[in-house]
Amino acid sequence: MAAVIRTDKLTKSYGSHRGIVDVDLEVQQGEVFGFLGPNGAGKTTTIRVLLDLIRPTSGKAFVFEIESSADPNAIHRRIGYLPGEFALYDRLTGLQTLEYFGNLRGGVDKVYQAQLIERFDLDPSRRFREYSKGNKQKVGLVAALQNKPDLLMLDEPTSGLDPLVQQTFFEVMRERVADGGTVFLSSHVLNEVERSCDRVAIIRDGRIVQTGRVDALRDLAHHQVELRFAAEPPVAEFDKLPGVTDVAVENHLIRMRVLGPITPVVQAAARLGVTDFLSREPSLEETFLALYGRESAEVKS
Amino acid sequence: MTAQAGAQPRAAHLTPISVRSRIVGLGSIYGKTIRDSRLSLIIASGMLGGMALVMAAGVSSIFPNAASRQEIDKLIGAIPSSMVNLFGKPVQLGTLGGYFSWKYGAIFALGTSLWSIMALSGTLAGEAGHGSLDLVAAAPFGKRRIALEKVAAHLTILTLALAVLAVACWAGSHLFGDASLGDSISPLSAVGYSLWLGFIALFFGGLAFALGPLLGRAGSAGIAAAVMIVLWLANGFDGLAVVATISPFHWTANHIALVGQYDWAGLALVGVAAAAFLAIGVELFARRDLGVTSGLSLPGMPKVMLGVHGSVSRAFGEELPRALSWGIGLGLMGALIGSLVGTMANQIKSDAGLISTFSGIFPGFDLASAGGWLQLYAQLLFIAAGLAAATFVSKWASDETGGRLEMFLATPLSRSRWVVSGGIGAILAVVVVTFMFAVGLALGTASGGVEAGDALVGSAVLGIYAVAIVGIGVAVGGVWRTSIAGEVSALVVIATYLIDLVAPALKLPDWIHQLALTSHLGQPMIGVWDPVGIGFCCALAVGGVVVGAVGMRRRDVGR
Repeated sequence: MAAVIRTDKLTKSYGSHRGIVDVDLEVQQGEVFGFLGPNGAGKTTTIRVLLDLIRPTSGKAFVFEIESSADPNAIHRRIGYLPGEFALYDRLTGLQTLEYFGNLRGGVDKVYQAQLIERFDLDPSRRFREYSKGNKQKVGLVAALQNKPDLLMLDEPTSGLDPLVQQTFFEVMRERVADGGTVFLSSHVLNEVERSCDRVAIIRDGRIVQTGRVDALRDLAHHQVELRFAAEPPVAEFDKLPGVTDVAVENHLIRMRVLGPITPVVQAAARLGVTDFLSREPSLEETFLALYGRESAEVKS
Repeated sequence: MTAQAGAQPRAAHLTPISVRSRIVGLGSIYGKTIRDSRLSLIIASGMLGGMALVMAAGVSSIFPNAASRQEIDKLIGAIPSSMVNLFGKPVQLGTLGGYFSWKYGAIFALGTSLWSIMALSGTLAGEAGHGSLDLVAAAPFGKRRIALEKVAAHLTILTLALAVLAVACWAGSHLFGDASLGDSISPLSAVGYSLWLGFIALFFGGLAFALGPLLGRAGSAGIAAAVMIVLWLANGFDGLAVVATISPFHWTANHIALVGQYDWAGLALVGVAAAAFLAIGVELFARRDLGVTSGLSLPGMPKVMLGVHGSVSRAFGEELPRALSWGIGLGLMGALIGSLVGTMANQIKSDAGLISTFSGIFPGFDLASAGGWLQLYAQLLFIAAGLAAATFVSKWASDETGGRLEMFLATPLSRSRWVVSGGIGAILAVVVVTFMFAVGLALGTASGGVEAGDALVGSAVLGIYAVAIVGIGVAVGGVWRTSIAGEVSALVVIATYLIDLVAPALKLPDWIHQLALTSHLGQPMIGVWDPVGIGFCCALAVGGVVVGAVGMRRRDVGR
């Protein structure tokens, strides 16, 4: 299957300022692809290059196998886009705003538009400047979705939305995917990526540091393991195992962090007569933080 | 690569886009730009057409017979060369078309150019700065088409406004003029004049448009406006003769369409240059990164001037960059005008007939003295000073319209103190502009060998008028809404100018002329002050800030 998005050593710099460096991505049709990274990591820059709003310094970007700077119109015809930060026209109502962006794409299916407005619980009669932050975001989301695009490119789409509307958004997004669409979604909200995305790429300081399926990525992370023994724990037996770090003993309890496969620890524990075994699977958020090294990936009880 | 991934676009039951909405509405970028420009079209058409009609009536009223027309005709050949170059060649001054072209032609051209600069510098760069252009640019047509549709919309609006002007010139000459005195203006003459205005406007507007993708809205508008002023004033300043050769005013010096004298080649040159600027702007926009501007490499503001120590210093720090911009522009004008007025006064002083004639054209001004000329220019500079004040009000107002005010008021800063601080900051900005103008004027008059002590002190009148405008704007913003404060201030400035211009020309009742604030300030450039008017302006400044502060305590904070 051809990739919907593909980049090849994509690099963008703003003079002396770093943008993105050697970004390689591949997103397949029908995927919900999460693009994770902290503020300023390069998520928005990547999306803007993919849309040809800015041009790469080097490398190439392909959307629908069309080079982004070669024929951006052909790409734009098939995408829905929500910028991370946007301000629309203060004097237009929400409906007029949607009408305008629908018209720029050659017209809009009014029935579907009305359904989206209703599902997002948006009052379309108010002027844009009168909307709250969340309602402005709803207008942007409906504008991106209303033309039933083949590819949704969403930069932090749930920003400002309440949990109910977030749920609605994920439902609509899944419907688009079920209908053959693809979603490229940037976020720094990890649990929403964890529950909505099939695959994820993590970008840090402009470089992709990890790409993989959400569950596989989680497997790459550490496990926080607690073992209870009837007698003094055999610390040395665990200390020498591959991937085991931070071993700590408290009475008959031994705690450790296990990076990579947990099987050797399980086998050793069984052999040494463990009486209780507790292993916590890390959340993506914990994985993310561990990869970034910003804080220890302590498993919360 | 040509292979297509994913499904092809599907047919949907799309609502068709009406032709009307594509032309004026939300059906296209062109249509929306036209829709958004309706108010500016009405204002521009009203001002251009209205002023043309008023001038036609005024000329016929002030110079009603052949004898008075002959007096004006005597000016030809006697007008100082610097004035000729600045205002245009005096041809058939004894006719409505000739008089109108000479006295008001340059003013109309500068005003229309300023409009074009503001529109074309902001049409893309403003939207990019605002944050909506990314969404528009993600639509399925190229950036080149976006730029072209924006330019086409401005051309349409400009054409409509100038068509109104052409009709007003033609109709005014037939309604108010005397055909036997040569006042009739033919349709071709009227169109030729409008074309001249349009091409000049597009020259400078196109320059702003070309610079927009590189410098953003403020930088491109500022540079284009500065170039416009320099290329106009260069025509009347011997030291800038080389610069004048690239001036569109110089290229079209022989195109005096309202008297039937045409220079289509010169006009075409301006048109080609304007088209080139617009094409460069379109290409730069299409090729450059969206919203990424180089900016002007101005030196950073010293930390002490950023004013983060308190609300007044912050308000002033926020106003300072635009105060310096206005100050540089007005200072430059002061320098150039100051260097010219001595020569002009000397040439008129040598001929009693000229003094008499000029008194008829510019009643109330002693144009045999340098101070008299400076006072005449001051009437024009009142507009600049007033509009500067309106921009300071607008900057203060942006605290609320931009959403910063809620953060300020979440600190122990009271609403009234915010208003007072903003008002003081704007007034201090006016002081900066006035000081820079006075410095420019001093340098100019010194270079022209003119004693201008009274005029230097008299420069303060610009600041006094401007602070009155600040007071009005702050009062409106505090009591009603800050979102209209800048606009109301600008309208007061324009209305004041028009009343001051039109009332004497039409011999309207004196009370109408008295409505103009600028008619109560005396002639400070020659040392004649009107204490009542000066006091009233100061009261407006202080009272406006106080009223705004009180009003702000009583209303909701908006967004």
